[in-house]
Amino acid sequence: MDTLNALLSGFAVALSLQNLFLGFVGVTLGTAVGVLPGVGPALTVALLLPATAGFDPTGALIMFAGIYYGAMFGGSTTSILLNTPGESATIVTAMEGNMMAKRGRAGAALATSAIGSFVAGTIGTVLLTFVSPFAVDVALKFGPAEYFSVMVLAFVTVSAVLGASPARGLAALFLGLTIGLIGLDSQTGQARFTLGIPELLDGLDIVVVAVGLFAVGETLYVATYLNRGSDVIEQMKGSIWMSKEDWKRSWKPWLRGTAFGFPFGCIPAGGAEIPTFLSYATEKKLSKHADEFGKGAIEGVAGPEAANNASASGTLMPLLTLGLPTTATAAIILAAFQQYGLQPGPLLFDTQPELIWGLIASMYIGNVILLALNLPLVGVWVKLLAIPRPLLYAGILIFATMGAYGIRNSWFDLALLYGIGLLGFVMRRYDIPVAPVLVGLILGPLSEQQFRRALAISQGDLSIFVTQPISATVLAITALVVIVPQAWRLVRRMQANAIGHHSPI
Amino acid sequence: MSTRARIDAGELLISLVLLALGSFVAFETQGIAETQGYSQVGPRLFPYLIGTGLVLCGAWLAWQALSGGWRAMPEEAETHAAPDRVGFLLISAGVVLHMVLIGWAGFVLASTLLFVLVARGFGSMKPVRDLGIAAVLSTLVYFLFTRGLGLSLPAGLFGG
Repeated sequence: MDTLNALLSGFAVALSLQNLFLGFVGVTLGTAVGVLPGVGPALTVALLLPATAGFDPTGALIMFAGIYYGAMFGGSTTSILLNTPGESATIVTAMEGNMMAKRGRAGAALATSAIGSFVAGTIGTVLLTFVSPFAVDVALKFGPAEYFSVMVLAFVTVSAVLGASPARGLAALFLGLTIGLIGLDSQTGQARFTLGIPELLDGLDIVVVAVGLFAVGETLYVATYLNRGSDVIEQMKGSIWMSKEDWKRSWKPWLRGTAFGFPFGCIPAGGAEIPTFLSYATEKKLSKHADEFGKGAIEGVAGPEAANNASASGTLMPLLTLGLPTTATAAIILAAFQQYGLQPGPLLFDTQPELIWGLIASMYIGNVILLALNLPLVGVWVKLLAIPRPLLYAGILIFATMGAYGIRNSWFDLALLYGIGLLGFVMRRYDIPVAPVLVGLILGPLSEQQFRRALAISQGDLSIFVTQPISATVLAITALVVIVPQAWRLVRRMQANAIGHHSPI
Repeated sequence: MSTRARIDAGELLISLVLLALGSFVAFETQGIAETQGYSQVGPRLFPYLIGTGLVLCGAWLAWQALSGGWRAMPEEAETHAAPDRVGFLLISAGVVLHMVLIGWAGFVLASTLLFVLVARGFGSMKPVRDLGIAAVLSTLVYFLFTRGLGLSLPAGLFGG
């Protein structure tokens, strides 16, 4: 009952005129940046950070969350009509949904992804509402050792387990950790790695790093390598409403996609790509129309789209209850909390209940607004796809430089922006992932702080990390997620060899 | 795992840069004064660990580069075959000029030039249209963020 009361008072906060407006702005912006290729929610929130420093934190965070899950809705539109994933989590939709659009079923594809996103987003928010209090109870038992172990788990999963190459993922993580070292040491106040430059005493602002990597690096890469020909936009053909048959084939994939997406969002496993792939594979296996997969099967759009939205709600659980970001966007939203002097975690549920529950309540409202924005009004968003590429990227860079300069009106930040942009260009060119850089940058200093606190408590005894049961469990899980996939690969290879040797046919 | 006969110079170079950066981090750490306080661990431990991590990653990637190339790279040889260097340089010039100009010429002028250069870098052949859109967008953004959101951006030549 406590939870319901808290949620009700959260609705009172979220329904205030100001917060309702900011939530609306957030989901609208989110849909727009989700639709536009080249702009994502992480970049958008980063750009708005300097401009919202004076905002009321609750309203600003409602807006940022709206941008995050709104982008998940919008991303599907681009995937279906353009066959270019608007967001990395919509790669599967780009395959299957675009095939539907080519067969004149764009309307049904857009409808099943919008309604599926709504269903998954709402169920995800319900789960967030009722599971968070339990997560808070667990988190309250966390001391510095436990926090440190959980951060190690996040480091390892984000960099080494996900993505194509553990070597490149870890390199990106250590790069982010190195950037995080720059500035004053939080415990002793000593300057580290500032190279005598006073501008570096405050450290590198996450806004400059995120905007440099996502906006400048991406723009340079697209201009240098991908700026050939123009994209083919599929026409909006077919009814925007789904037929009875479409509904029948969609509702189960929505629910199964949600079941994949939410837990994957919760654990530090880096975002929505994995659950969308799992959902796609599952639907393909279970479908009576397996032959349609690859040619535009509605199940292959409905399931993955539900999965990526549910995972967005799931991501907020570790972020709110532990202060642990598991995606690039979550890392920037954590920076937003810090901008207001707030540290997300179990204590925030006690000290700032209006903020937390207002934020959660706003997600129920935001999902309804998004359904309205993305179904009847989808035609408006499609027009955004017609913006010529030169104008789109030129516009992105205006906002990028404004965001970087706006932090403290210093040309030095623009020089950093370009330098980090070059880094982002090289990383993109050589397939080095960006998310570990941001997670390392924001969690690095926090993990060092917790590590030193833990050792202060244990009086220098390192065994504190393995003698505390929760910390030991988390570290054991960390070891498992590293070892199991490797061992699995080894077993498969040995089996393949064995089959090769024993059966010549 | 594709095996290539030739060694990719870029892959090797990045690996070596990571190695060098890691060594630099470890070297610079020696200059940090060690004051432990009662936390037992001073401000040197993490930089040492991170520097070591960078060195190991650099060595790992260098080994991969020398033994058949980085693993699991996407098939993008075609994409990377003909880079548009002019586009790259035009956009770079736009960002660098923006940095130089914003202080005295102001946000609107610096951004207008940036917009036109980036659009040209993407192959736009309509400089007049670009200039018009650039001026309108920069002015709109300026007023939205300074008047509307309270950000401070230099007015420059227009501000007097």
